[in-house]
Amino acid sequence: MTASPAPGAAARRVRAATIHALQTALAAEHTAVYGYAVAGAHLTGSRQQAATRGWIAHQQARDALTAMVAALGAQPVPASATYQLPFGVRGPQSAVALLALLEDGLATTYLGVVALSSDRLRLFGARGVQTAALRATGWRGSTPAFPGLQPAGG
Amino acid sequence: MLSAAAALPLAAAGCQGLRVLGTPPRPLPDVTVLRAAMDSETLLIAQYTAVLAAQPGLAGLLDPLLGQHRAHLDRLRARLIVPPGAATPSPSPRPHVQAPPGPTAAQAFLQQAEAGAAQALTGRLAAASPSLAQLLASIAAAEASHALLLSPRRGAR
Repeated sequence: MTASPAPGAAARRVRAATIHALQTALAAEHTAVYGYAVAGAHLTGSRQQAATRGWIAHQQARDALTAMVAALGAQPVPASATYQLPFGVRGPQSAVALLALLEDGLATTYLGVVALSSDRLRLFGARGVQTAALRATGWRGSTPAFPGLQPAGG
Repeated sequence: MLSAAAALPLAAAGCQGLRVLGTPPRPLPDVTVLRAAMDSETLLIAQYTAVLAAQPGLAGLLDPLLGQHRAHLDRLRARLIVPPGAATPSPSPRPHVQAPPGPTAAQAFLQQAEAGAAQALTGRLAAASPSLAQLLASIAAAEASHALLLSPRRGAR
């Protein structure tokens, strides 16, 4: 280890790490808003209602993260006009698979927030991981043992 | 703070070398958090085992969830590195669990246990290193999902 950096440098690193983690989560929420709109169009009945609830919830999460990033003095990442989805949605089965996959990705990005040093942000991140895992479980009917983490290591 | 936390294991390892001849080092903060999380998983495993013994009809639902708790315990135990010379507390006694009678009550009992365990783990995040906090948050999310899968309204969708 070298000499301790100046306090200002440490604070700047914490701020940069915080912004990076929040921007990553924001980008994932943008993707989720897009994906839920695409997938919801292929669903009917109670599954369509669940997709609509999820679509609204992801917009709220996006807005909350946008405000958090802006409060740190950074420019929140904007939404793209379109997103490259991992596979084409052709019907209810692939729609549900897409939504579960999107929630898996959100669990991973919110784990990035959990690694921050602020207790408040850790709790915020943990809630994000849990919400994503619950939605993924709702879509898939099962959960992995370690939501958001790779199957081995971690 | 992040860099300080990241440097902690290194600093602790350095101290350990210096302290070998002196007083035994205290366990790192993560050791305390890990032991609490392992106790929680051990209790859940005992609760599932008790319910499965009384209600074998629930095996289809419960066996996969029990397997995940064993995976949680294994992953937590793999992280438990006690500094040499530190006092090792005697292992927690094997919890004795009485399953409530009837499959519905037994399932509700496990659902509550899962929800409680998820909440307790989330409460320990602040005391953990960044990577352990991630593992705890992931396990808490799995347990909250288990509670959802155990809820009586599941399958209504």
